[in-house]
Amino acid sequence: MNFFYLFFLLSFNLSSPLLQQEKSASSSALSAETIESGKSNFRVNCSYCHGIAANGGFRAPSLVSGHFSHGSSDDSILDNILHGIPGTAMPANDIDEPTAREIIAYLRSLQKTSQPSATGNPEAGRKLFFGAAACAQCHMVQGHGGRFGPDLSRVGAMRPREYLIESIREPDAQLTERFVAVDFGTNPPTYELVTITTGQGTVFSGVVLNEDTFSLQFMDDREKIHSWQKSELKSVVREKRSPMPKYDTQQLSSAQLDDLIAYLTSLRGDSK
Amino acid sequence: MTRPRLSSSPILYLLNLIYFLYLISVPAKLAAQVTNDQLLNSSASPANWLQYSATYDGHRFSSLSQINRENVSQLTAQWVFQTSTPGFFENSPLVVDGIMYVTGPENIAFALDARTGRRLWSYKRVLPEKIRACCGHTNRGFAILGSRLFMATLDAHVVALDSATGNVLWDVQAADYAQGYAFTVAPLIIKDKVIVGVSGGEYGIRGFIDAYDTATGKRAWRFYTVPAPGEPGSDSWPSADSAARGGAPAWVTGTYDPQLNLLYWPTGNPAPSDDGSKRKGENLYSNSILALNPDTGKLQWHFQFTPFDLHDWDATEVPVLLDADLDGKPRKLLLHADRNGFFYVLDRTNGKFLFAKPYATQNWAKAIDPSGKPIVLPSALPTEDGVRVCPGAAGATNWMSPTYSPQTSLLYVSVREQCDIFYAHPQQFVTGRIFIGSTYMPVSKEKDWGAVRAIDPKTGEVRWEYKEYSATWAGNLSTAGHLVFTGDVDGYLIALDADTGKPMWHIQTGAAIYAAPITYELNGRQYVAISSGTTLLTFALPGTN
Repeated sequence: MNFFYLFFLLSFNLSSPLLQQEKSASSSALSAETIESGKSNFRVNCSYCHGIAANGGFRAPSLVSGHFSHGSSDDSILDNILHGIPGTAMPANDIDEPTAREIIAYLRSLQKTSQPSATGNPEAGRKLFFGAAACAQCHMVQGHGGRFGPDLSRVGAMRPREYLIESIREPDAQLTERFVAVDFGTNPPTYELVTITTGQGTVFSGVVLNEDTFSLQFMDDREKIHSWQKSELKSVVREKRSPMPKYDTQQLSSAQLDDLIAYLTSLRGDSK
Repeated sequence: MTRPRLSSSPILYLLNLIYFLYLISVPAKLAAQVTNDQLLNSSASPANWLQYSATYDGHRFSSLSQINRENVSQLTAQWVFQTSTPGFFENSPLVVDGIMYVTGPENIAFALDARTGRRLWSYKRVLPEKIRACCGHTNRGFAILGSRLFMATLDAHVVALDSATGNVLWDVQAADYAQGYAFTVAPLIIKDKVIVGVSGGEYGIRGFIDAYDTATGKRAWRFYTVPAPGEPGSDSWPSADSAARGGAPAWVTGTYDPQLNLLYWPTGNPAPSDDGSKRKGENLYSNSILALNPDTGKLQWHFQFTPFDLHDWDATEVPVLLDADLDGKPRKLLLHADRNGFFYVLDRTNGKFLFAKPYATQNWAKAIDPSGKPIVLPSALPTEDGVRVCPGAAGATNWMSPTYSPQTSLLYVSVREQCDIFYAHPQQFVTGRIFIGSTYMPVSKEKDWGAVRAIDPKTGEVRWEYKEYSATWAGNLSTAGHLVFTGDVDGYLIALDADTGKPMWHIQTGAAIYAAPITYELNGRQYVAISSGTTLLTFALPGTN
């Protein structure tokens, strides 16, 4: 095989889905064999974007919650698999209907073991986000907030609840995954804290926006953008941690965390 | 155009006659005429670029030296050619007497004035809606003989175009595209035949290499890269079924030794690439170099780099032919930096393994044994939960052309340092559908990176390395100006000192480079051309174009 075949089936823009809580019309009496075959076909056709265990990848959302942004019924999912979702990175897939239905059966089997949704109050979470917890100092939602961290306008569609909790309590646990040459020559930010010392000895802390053999594009912690040739820099130190502060129970109680998670999981790209 | 007028003055008459002769010579320039002798002696006419790898030995070296390490820093853009077809060029253009012949994505093609980049003609193939080419609708270039250009197409046809007009002279079907057969390869001309190898290793095809009569398009021979039941090598497959969909595509252009009259053609992965549960055996002739008689298509010898491959390590890298002394004896060698991370040297008269040495990070083989077979580590076998294996599925190198410089006696190879997690999960075969048996993923938190490595072909030692921030997809060109030209996935065209690997010049071209540079000469000026995205750019030293 040549390489990363799925990349060619994709455009790399992200979707702006609308959450529709549809009643899932899951098929009954799914045989283990069907699920196994669905798993195999999921791995071949879907896992590169949605993750090997369907719990979300760099370019596509988690599929284990049972709530699908573009319709949760079997028929809606089937339609999305076969024909793609216009305006999103989800391509039409050249697979037959029985294969697609096996994939759906596999996804349904994962649902049973997935975590329940957040129990907190999303409005209280929103107030924390823009107020006491100061998340909006660095993160933007629907055009409001800072630019230093990732935009979270649709993080609820992209990331499962457990991932969000980990990102708040242990922000250094996993930095944003970087995939190989994902969009041909840009190296998407990993939001790793990087310390730069220029040839003149000035020190900057921030994140790398793009980088190649010769040059580096950088946003410092005051949201100022810099462009340097690497030959002009004294040192580039990758700190192997996130610039995000760790929110332990002192900064954010369990109840507050529940509220914040309820707010974040509600963020699916729709304007409010 | 003004017609010359006869004049009573003998001098004017003579001048008019000269002008008239000049005018009628212009159309003659348009109709390229490339002979077999010229192809055999391509290195003698470095003003042209007559075949995919420049010469039959695959050296991709040019004796042009106007651009050299002393002046390369002054290189300046001469012209840029853009297309509006989505996709990207992975091509190596041909240049014949001032005309450049270029193929692009979706089987578009152009003849360009190599001085200005202005279009002389264009060709666009009408392709069926559902082409099954796994990895991009690309094409790697034309071959030329006489005034005919040859292109192998995504819908598994071979076509001959008139080099003066782009008109189709013949068009033959090689296979059924709906079953997953496709061509992306640049053909190779040997004598009166045009040779092509098929793509489709992800669709459970049965690979083949074909030869067609350049005059008529009639198929002269076909060599199936997976043996039929009862043929030698068929016992390397557990069943006729597994062999019938065994893959072993042949999607990179081979090389040719006219003295031995042997064609060397590399083959790709067995299918399904990531699951071996239903194809236990060596899976001949996947991941091999085949030495074929180009007149008959008969196999003379084969050498398999990765038997029973589970990591998608096609051997589809251009085999480089070199005559050199090894251990005090003059030898006819075949050099091959494989996707599996090892650099191999074979005796190309008989396929005998001479030695192998890793040239990139690998954690799958304990060693290569004295017969040339890898001693595979059990820890590298894909599992349900995934195992980390280096190199990744894209390999330590890939189709990107290497180059050999007789000036430095070094082989320059594009290297990818990247590992993958390989998952196994058996998959049902359906005709015409992707058939790879599970999947692989990049290892998160491990940044891929790339390099050009200069390998001493006599020892396998890496003499120098030029590091790149990201794993590369670009090929290489070496020139008598003591330079190696390469590209990178971040969009740079780069010139390196061939002796040391020091970067001497670079320019941002605006898109990832998936092609190899070429060079040619026109009106006393040396040009370097590179494809980037859907753009083709040329560079030369300052001067009048």
